Amino acid sequence: MNAVETKDLTKIYSSAFGKKKIQALVDFNLDVEEGLIFGLLGPNGAGKTTLIKLLLGITFPTAGSAKILEEKISNYKVKKKIGYLPENHKYPPYLKGGEVLQYFGKLTGVTGAELERKTDELLALVKLSQWKKTKVKNYSKGMMQRLGLAQALINDPELIFLDEPTDGVDPIGRKEIRDILLELKSRKKTIFLNSHLLSEVELITDRVGILNKGKLLREGTVRELTEKKEEYKLVIGDNVSGNDLFNNNSFAKISDGSYSVKVADINELNKIIDALRSRSILIKEILPMKSTLEEMFISLINESEKTNV
Amino acid sequence: MYNIWITTWYTVREALARKVFLFFLILSAIAIVITAVVVNVLSDAALISGIDPEQSSLIYEEIASSIQLIIITPLATLCILLAIFSSASFVPNMLEKGNIDLLLSKPISRPQLLTGKFLGGLLVVLLNLGFLIIGVWFVIAVRFGTFNFTFLSIILSITFTFAVLYALMVLFGVITQGSVPGMMIAYFIFLILSPLLYSGKNQFDKLITSDFLKAVIDFFYYLLPKTTELMGGITMDLALGKGIADWQPVLTSLGFMIAVFGYAVYIFGKKDF
Repeated sequence: MNAVETKDLTKIYSSAFGKKKIQALVDFNLDVEEGLIFGLLGPNGAGKTTLIKLLLGITFPTAGSAKILEEKISNYKVKKKIGYLPENHKYPPYLKGGEVLQYFGKLTGVTGAELERKTDELLALVKLSQWKKTKVKNYSKGMMQRLGLAQALINDPELIFLDEPTDGVDPIGRKEIRDILLELKSRKKTIFLNSHLLSEVELITDRVGILNKGKLLREGTVRELTEKKEEYKLVIGDNVSGNDLFNNNSFAKISDGSYSVKVADINELNKIIDALRSRSILIKEILPMKSTLEEMFISLINESEKTNV
Repeated sequence: MYNIWITTWYTVREALARKVFLFFLILSAIAIVITAVVVNVLSDAALISGIDPEQSSLIYEEIASSIQLIIITPLATLCILLAIFSSASFVPNMLEKGNIDLLLSKPISRPQLLTGKFLGGLLVVLLNLGFLIIGVWFVIAVRFGTFNFTFLSIILSITFTFAVLYALMVLFGVITQGSVPGMMIAYFIFLILSPLLYSGKNQFDKLITSDFLKAVIDFFYYLLPKTTELMGGITMDLALGKGIADWQPVLTSLGFMIAVFGYAVYIFGKKDF
């Protein structure tokens, strides 16, 4: 079952008199399976937050359709099973930490002893128990972020949307949030994560989507996205200098004993292996070449910018 | 209904967190204490001198109602003025980025959310007015031994006056996402336009010779809420137990409130955040 499904979802913002139109999302198609951590990446203004807002009925689509947990997004009752941590969230300043959780808990239908229990449990989870009776106007940014995460979990949601959840959180806090997300995943929760922090996304997501100017450029597992097609790393034995095979343009030395080799297909790679073995060159390792998520992201965004120009 | 109640209750909490409503509650408490002191030093003989003793109970009732009105009318007007000032930001605050996103991500419909905000504002004013009016009514009623319960219906008439203005503030709050335009329009209607239209329609009618001007005054008079009549004649008649003689100001103001609030709900239901 898909937790999120969009079909040609489009959002165009118009200025006050309709003169200027901004395409925030264009024919966006995406399926996110249940039980995964999905990371949506993109530069500022790519349309990441717009997508979440459309899915949650905070903004309305110009065209296309979407479903969350198999329900149309126009059905507000489905939000009972959803948690959301918006970017730059704001809570009523007159409420205390515990009261914030109770307020949003009540709005999602959690009441009575269950609400009390969940409040204490979640404040402990995000390490804010001792701040339960402190007004949120006195919270730091990191504390607000952790309270926001607790708020998003108050109704034990099946699908959780997190928009920059580690924004303003220190490295230890980030690690704790990552651990919470992984624990949620182990309980079959679906997590939809918007983040600028690529290294973090790389660490916890099952699938990643890359968005720029409202268009989904690529989608897949981190491994699929970072793998360099038809490029391999060869770790070979000593005494290969002067071997004419390595004068070939498809070889490039990358470190001691390591070469990168570009091939047209897997057959060509096998031919190279045969040639190396026929020269009695020892092959220690053959690995597909990978770039980091950040390298891939930057190259993809640059490519997309060039295409648009 | 539960979601509406939650929103209503947290709007009351938001109001109580502001000092204006607490200030008014303290002011009301002082007014009640002063009333209790003053009415207890009034001599019965001076109050009913020259009046047939058989009619004294009726006279007591009228005296009680008059004193109650003298004390309550300016304070109730002050309550409305303060309530307009303090409640103008309820809707704009709710619509602030970061807050509205969270609220709309919960299983509550947009009409429920706005209705909760509207009812919350009304409940705060109802509680404030209720405290003032019941307090003043009670100390005077005890002093004169006359418990005219119909007097208490003015709590509803004054709250209704505020409700009509508050609906307008909600609409302007939704459209502009700011508190100032709604507050200004509410003050303008309450303090200037409604008294002017009332005078133009009822007191200076014969002085206006132009049919066109008469038609314009009539149009705006019937279109806009009649806060002058609601706070004046109608509240007075209710206080004196006479009932409502002319329902037109109540019904047209009610129609205005429903139309304006309905439009606010419509706009809010279509708005992107």
